[in-house]
Amino acid sequence: MQNKLTPRFLLIGLVLVWGIWSLWPTIKLQNLSDDEKNTLRIEGKLEEIETKAIKQGLDLKGGMYIVLEVDLPTLIENIAINKDGKLSSIFDKIRADISISPEADFFDLFSEHVEKNQLKLSRYYYDYGSSSDDILSSLNDEAEDAINRVLEILQNRIDQFGVAEPTIQKQGSQRIIVELAGVQNSERARSLLESTALLEFYLVKDVTTTNELMIKIDQILKKDKSVASVAKELKSQEIESDDASSEQAVSVSELFGGVESTTDEADSAIVDEDIFAERPFSSLLRSLGNSIGVPEKNTFAIKKLIEKPEVQERLASVGSNFLFGHKAEDYVLTDGSVERMYALYLLDDQAELTGGVVEEAKANLGPQGTTSAGQPIVNLSMNSDGARKWAIMTGSNVGRQVAIVLDKKVHMAPNIREKISGGGTLIEGFANIDEAKDIAIVLRAGALPAPVEIIEERVIGPSLGAESVKSGTLSVLIGLVIVLVFMIFYYRTAGTIADFALVWNIVLVLAILASLQATLTLPGIAGLILTVGMSIDANVIIFERIREELDKGKTAKAAIDGGYNRALTTIIDANMTTLIAALVLWQFGTGPIRGFATVLFWGILISMFTAIFVTRTIFNAFVNRKGFSKLSI
Amino acid sequence: MRLLKNPNFDFMSKKLFALTISGLIGLAGIVSLIFHGGPKLSIDFKGGTFVAVQFTEDINVEEVRSKMGDVNIDGQAFDFSREEVKHFGNQTAVSVRVPHIESSPSNLAQKIAVHLYNAFSNKVPENMIDFILSKGMVGPKIGSELSGKAIMAIFSALGLILLYISIRFEFKFALGAIAALSHDVLITLGMFSLLSYEISLPIIAAFLTIVGYSLNDTIVIFDRIRENLKSSKRDSYTDIVNKSINQSLSRTIITSLTTFVVVFILWFFGGEVINTFAFAMIVGVIVGTYSSIYIASPLVIFLHENAKK
Repeated sequence: MQNKLTPRFLLIGLVLVWGIWSLWPTIKLQNLSDDEKNTLRIEGKLEEIETKAIKQGLDLKGGMYIVLEVDLPTLIENIAINKDGKLSSIFDKIRADISISPEADFFDLFSEHVEKNQLKLSRYYYDYGSSSDDILSSLNDEAEDAINRVLEILQNRIDQFGVAEPTIQKQGSQRIIVELAGVQNSERARSLLESTALLEFYLVKDVTTTNELMIKIDQILKKDKSVASVAKELKSQEIESDDASSEQAVSVSELFGGVESTTDEADSAIVDEDIFAERPFSSLLRSLGNSIGVPEKNTFAIKKLIEKPEVQERLASVGSNFLFGHKAEDYVLTDGSVERMYALYLLDDQAELTGGVVEEAKANLGPQGTTSAGQPIVNLSMNSDGARKWAIMTGSNVGRQVAIVLDKKVHMAPNIREKISGGGTLIEGFANIDEAKDIAIVLRAGALPAPVEIIEERVIGPSLGAESVKSGTLSVLIGLVIVLVFMIFYYRTAGTIADFALVWNIVLVLAILASLQATLTLPGIAGLILTVGMSIDANVIIFERIREELDKGKTAKAAIDGGYNRALTTIIDANMTTLIAALVLWQFGTGPIRGFATVLFWGILISMFTAIFVTRTIFNAFVNRKGFSKLSI
Repeated sequence: MRLLKNPNFDFMSKKLFALTISGLIGLAGIVSLIFHGGPKLSIDFKGGTFVAVQFTEDINVEEVRSKMGDVNIDGQAFDFSREEVKHFGNQTAVSVRVPHIESSPSNLAQKIAVHLYNAFSNKVPENMIDFILSKGMVGPKIGSELSGKAIMAIFSALGLILLYISIRFEFKFALGAIAALSHDVLITLGMFSLLSYEISLPIIAAFLTIVGYSLNDTIVIFDRIRENLKSSKRDSYTDIVNKSINQSLSRTIITSLTTFVVVFILWFFGGEVINTFAFAMIVGVIVGTYSSIYIASPLVIFLHENAKK
């Protein structure tokens, strides 16, 4: 018998050694101080330890999880040549369809609509093939290529941002999952990911054109009945706001006063529906000397008004477009009051130059002696093609304003003082140096081939994560101790053996997690607790059976053999069903759920192994010992 | 030490009484579910926005709610005062959940957090990063996909388990097991609805674990029935079932008790995030143990006697 047991002990010993060896990096990492971590990081050894240690999920460590979706309709619409109303109406319909049934596949919808409207795809996409099927399949390839490029660019941005263990992966055909563990400032990371990084340079329309257009828009909107309701809505908001801003609403007319009769003091005190009704657009705006200001509370209304098709049509007829400044700022008005406003610019609708020409972008503080002294700025340098175009553009438009637009928001609109050759330029208007640095990062990494949208976001603050680790660990330990004590109390020696198996079980599950490079999440900890329950259950089933056998008057050895044999099918059948549930969870779950399923799956397998094989071996060793008389169970 | 020495309770004689209790609790849950128009789904499935923030002192939920009545985002006014606002873990933290809205401004979670930060500027930590405990947004697209996946997960798990038990035992045992676990899930769902707890993604995991646990418990008893059917052929079916339940009673009590203690501690100490997960498990352990004796076993007897006729 002794000979038969030796290989079993050898196997158990080997597994235990393997378990501790796998867990070693985790233990080591836990005990490192921050200083030691830093020295190891510099030596390049930390990464090796980290990859071998158990990863903590975002819910434990804090961090952010973001799912981005590439806007396929926009991507495909953008690469079309000879765009016309028919094509864009089809894309509008597809977008409407997608918003109703979000699960629909874009390309299915696209081909469906193309067929329904008998659209000749070769007219818009002749570069992509001749027959409709060819074009559709090439466009599909193009979309796939685009998402791969998006992935690469995001990877690049995140690398430069500097996060310890970023995970970026593609999911399906149009999604990217980004996990940033331990990231502190989720807002910075978010804007870094979301930014398309589309840099454009537009000429700003001159004041006369702007004035004329505003009057036209007022006239157009006056006829629009739905505007009256907007005015009413605003009216009710206006009551809450202070008088100063109401007075200012009228002073806008001073900017556009050349055409309209100058409003005198008496009038300016009254801002009521009459003025809204008369000038529904410009009465919501303020004069900022050379440019237009939109009070923060009016932004939504102005956006809605600009979006109106009749206004858009008017804007298109003079080849122009409105864009907002990228952030609200406090402006001191003529009467000394301060109001938070966005700047609004009327720009050419064709960009003079785009960000593709950017070769290098660096964040800096503005040099002394310039207007931007001490302010955060981004220095750009362009490639030769860009530099040439930039020189021609600035040279022929001296005196005009050029707007530097990033992701459809105007960062600054300086006056061109002289021709700029050499391709160097700078962007200002950042809240702080961090923002400038982030913008420089996205400009260097390049623009995304298609806009991306955040469709899911989960952020766990570092304090909540730490709290969860603390309470999770605490409850595991308390539960474990109670169970261990109970087992010894109830089953004596046998209970001690079961306890040994249980601890062994937990060590092995953690070792497997470490070697699988799986992530331990909060539900994972719950899974660990459940494993404790399963492991105890297997032992309880066996022990109760042994007791039954002993009650029948069998010897200890026979009782153990009988007990184990009869308990075996029970344990296997009972655990198999939970195993099935774990597998299904793993298959359908994502993130934390998958973490739970992984722990449960391995927990069950190992608890079966420990209960059937490990404790059995120990029992047999006990029974075979010389002087053994009675089984303590 | 022994809890019970050769127990011999006549469990099956009280099955009608037990079924009545089950029926009543189940009915209360069903009524609540119907009344609330189905289970209360979290933003994981519906889409929406979630923010949990930490104040520096105790905060009144009603005060937060009234401040949520007027959230102004770039001139667009929102009234969130009727959305869910409640304490998060303790009296100093609050969570806000807003379902998905059409024309929702981007980054709504952050904007709500900023609104609350400014509204209670004297009760907030200095740094915004310490203020936000957690936040999240689930787009409607993701939500409906997750619902589909969850339903798929539950049904494929049930199907596979049915198949396994049919192969290892008999089909009537499979039906008994499925009835028991449906009972457990229904009661837990009913409890969630009565307490107006939300069904979130981790809760689905908890439900599947309850399924696993309930089956585990049921199968241990079924295993005994299977064994006793072979050895004592002369006894009546009901007697065999009774005997099997009694024989496995010690194990049932010890395992249920230890598991209960473990999940109870998880519920008590586990922290806010895992709280409802652990609650589902507590309910699951109790009803899972009960249903093996009073749902699964009586159904197997019933099916057996029906088949004989």
